[in-house]
Amino acid sequence: MMTLLKYEIYRRWRWLVLRYVALIIIGIILLNRVASPAYQNEFIGESIGKFIFASLVIFIIVIVEGINMLKEDLFEECGYLTFTIPKKGRTVLASKLVLLFLQLSFWTMISIGFGSILFSKLPYHEIVQIETQINFYLFPTVLFILTAFFNFVLMVHFSLTLTKTLLVNKRYSSLLSTGIFFFLIYFIEKVYYGPFLNQLNHVSIEIGSRSNINLLSGGYTAVFLNIILTAIFFTATAYLLENKINI
Amino acid sequence: MEQILKATQLSKYFYQKKALNKVDINIEKGNIYGILGPNGGGKSTFLKIAAGLLKPSQGEITIDNEKPGVYTKSIVSYLPENNYLYRWMKIKDALNFFKDLYNDFDFEKARESIKFMELEEGEKVTSLSKGMMGRLKLTLALSRKAKLYLLDEPLNGIDPISREKIITSILDSYSEKASILICSHLIYYIEKLLDYVFFLSEGRIILSGNAEELRNKRGMSIDKLFQEVF
Repeated sequence: MMTLLKYEIYRRWRWLVLRYVALIIIGIILLNRVASPAYQNEFIGESIGKFIFASLVIFIIVIVEGINMLKEDLFEECGYLTFTIPKKGRTVLASKLVLLFLQLSFWTMISIGFGSILFSKLPYHEIVQIETQINFYLFPTVLFILTAFFNFVLMVHFSLTLTKTLLVNKRYSSLLSTGIFFFLIYFIEKVYYGPFLNQLNHVSIEIGSRSNINLLSGGYTAVFLNIILTAIFFTATAYLLENKINI
Repeated sequence: MEQILKATQLSKYFYQKKALNKVDINIEKGNIYGILGPNGGGKSTFLKIAAGLLKPSQGEITIDNEKPGVYTKSIVSYLPENNYLYRWMKIKDALNFFKDLYNDFDFEKARESIKFMELEEGEKVTSLSKGMMGRLKLTLALSRKAKLYLLDEPLNGIDPISREKIITSILDSYSEKASILICSHLIYYIEKLLDYVFFLSEGRIILSGNAEELRNKRGMSIDKLFQEVF
């Protein structure tokens, strides 16, 4: 897997470096502006907003690339090379997901690093006010978002791979894979998360809580459900890649 | 002779179209085989199934007694018709990629072959002409010490100079331990290479046999026979 990972990085290293250097430069420029004595407090919030926007743009690029990493191999001619190397489907898929994880880690480090420095420049009373508004448990929430992110990417990967199992040509592939993806979302919502949310609602009513119930309220149980789903989609996609796809 | 590939009643359907229709092919070690036929006859489909890129709709195919999978990919060297190399690659990247991912890749042989083919290792694959790309793909495919080589239209769109180099390379790569299966509709150029031929049309084998025996029996070259049959 490490060899494939090496080539996944080598294949796109210029873009990888470019996007993170761009985010770091934006962060440094905003920090410089905020650090200036002439800079007024009300503009600190604006700088934080600008940084969050830049960070979100990079995040979307990471997701799109995470999806395209497999899509290119499935639908472009380079798939002839990728799928004739003597590697298992799970190895091919894992190499792409590990790169995605590394990218996400870089993005998180840079975003949290600059974000927290910018945040600390706010007046003390505003920091306290914002902190009191945050009423969620940080660790399970981060784990939930991380697993949900991989669920999302793997669901797209699974939809694309299933499409390539059912169709050989590209003509209707986008339509079919989009259809499969939305069907999966609907199905999982109804059959997988639905009963869990009902249970949470039931418990919430029992204990007299009036708070809004969503998957984040599920804490580690929701994270566990996400991990199971990730494992299912990873296994199914790897199986299709190795045994069923038509390139 | 030991068999390296065996296809039994192999069929592949694309919706209503039968790309392959109950094809039986046996490939023995140490020979060069030609699957010959017009475009759209099912030649590439057969090779893609053998390379593990397509799954058969019916029938069975085994390579070294295994169904196409990770093991067969490690002993089969496949040269597709299209430009399958990653666009970011330079020639030297392609050599390194093959060295890293195929245990049987002979890096030194590949470098020598690159010189013979008059290619430069620093060139980007996207800047290569069709002839140069054909020579590079063949270098990569034949620099593996594979048990079975699958060459899909290795001469298609290739200029006469490149064509000679490619034929020389194929002959140099011949070994009694390996088999070569060439798909082509340019029979004239590859005829001298072939020990056995299969004529494939509309997914069916309509004629097959030892090339020399067919020539003697019909009193004409395989190329002429091809023109007569199709």
